[in-house]
Amino acid sequence: MIDKSIFEHLQTKIDEEGAVRDELHEIVQTLARKGRATQATLSRAHSTPSDQLKPVLDEATKEILGQKEEVLRLKAVADKHPFYKYNGLWTRELQNLVFSIELCAWLGGLEDHKSGTAQFMTIEEVGKFLEIPVNLKEQDAFHLTIEEYLLALISMVEELARLAVNSVTLGDYARPLQIGNFIKDLFAGFQLLNLKNDILRKRSDSIKYSVKKVEDVVYDLSLRNLVPKNA
Amino acid sequence: MVTSIFGTFRDELDRHHDRRERIIKTSRDITALSKKIIFSLQRVRSLNCPLPPAIAKDTSARLAQIVELFRSVVPDVTGINSWRYQRQLSGGIQEFIEALSFNHYVQFQTLITLEEIRRQLPAEILVTEEDYIMGLFDLTGEMMRFAVTSLSAGMAGIVVDLRGMRSSFESLSVPHRYGMLRDLSKKLDIMQGSVEKVERAAYGILVRGSERPSGWVPDLSGPAEVESF
Repeated sequence: MIDKSIFEHLQTKIDEEGAVRDELHEIVQTLARKGRATQATLSRAHSTPSDQLKPVLDEATKEILGQKEEVLRLKAVADKHPFYKYNGLWTRELQNLVFSIELCAWLGGLEDHKSGTAQFMTIEEVGKFLEIPVNLKEQDAFHLTIEEYLLALISMVEELARLAVNSVTLGDYARPLQIGNFIKDLFAGFQLLNLKNDILRKRSDSIKYSVKKVEDVVYDLSLRNLVPKNA
Repeated sequence: MVTSIFGTFRDELDRHHDRRERIIKTSRDITALSKKIIFSLQRVRSLNCPLPPAIAKDTSARLAQIVELFRSVVPDVTGINSWRYQRQLSGGIQEFIEALSFNHYVQFQTLITLEEIRRQLPAEILVTEEDYIMGLFDLTGEMMRFAVTSLSAGMAGIVVDLRGMRSSFESLSVPHRYGMLRDLSKKLDIMQGSVEKVERAAYGILVRGSERPSGWVPDLSGPAEVESF
């Protein structure tokens, strides 16, 4: 005899979980839409000389703060549920946001949120800026994970490699060197990790190509004596 | 600065990968033991009565081993980590549910409930509704094999139960954003096939059953060739 009530109970559970997913999905959609606007603004850095970047960065900061509101809204809902149960729903958009934050900071924005002369924000600084915990190991609550942070850094490296090429087009011969030094530092950092066959491994493979791309630009510049003496 | 930051990340990621690998290995071991339980239960020839002593002993020994395996993995799946590694452990859990529900069905001809399954395991082990549904899907396959190899023993009852399960599964409505149940339609197809096989077998017995010598049972020296039906 098959007890039908077993299945009725399952349906109730499925419906409850569907409602949670819908609620989270709606917030993530908004976060994604705002994120696309932020990235469109930041991509203007490729065609804006660095001494005129200020307005671009100000606008990007405003948009990033708008996204932060969505993250806090997301946190409020997500905190009611086990973190890893639904993490997959927003992880991509949170990575994109952290990427925007890091890029904006590298370009000279968000000065108040990074320490001293550092060119990027640590995971703790990003967490503090977004007002969310990071790398929680015991407490089951919304946070930014190490993996998400590292994947965002990889996106930044790729974007900076592109910026190195475009800086030259804009007549800025100093920036490719800066970029080169910075991403070589990060590359060395990623080489410390023992990566297994996962998304982090796949994505971090791209760093060495980014490094090579920038090295080629620097080589071309130095061959032609175009590297500024004080850089 | 970069070096020290990444040094910390490395340690954490190493711990994560170690946990993950331990869980995957345990999950595989649980799967293998569950399959052995299912194989020996398929040798039972009667439905809705206690298991033959030899098989009962075999089954309970293996179940105890499985529970021990689950217990060994508890430190890796407590707190925030229970959902983190849910997917890695889920394969073993589903196979375990298949074994446990089949064991239950053969003895009592009813479905074991999710609560009863959870009670067999340490509280830290996450048994989701999805695992339960997937396990029950696989149970229909075992019921089919059981029905067609045991022929008349309880065949009519199994047909009724399979139809009941089929219609219950078909009436579940799952939103497509649902994480774990993405391969639901594939499972539904397989289950519909199982139900039909048993229906045809029942038909065969009714039509040709009188031609079968009384007391005849299928040759079980080889693996059950259910496809040939």
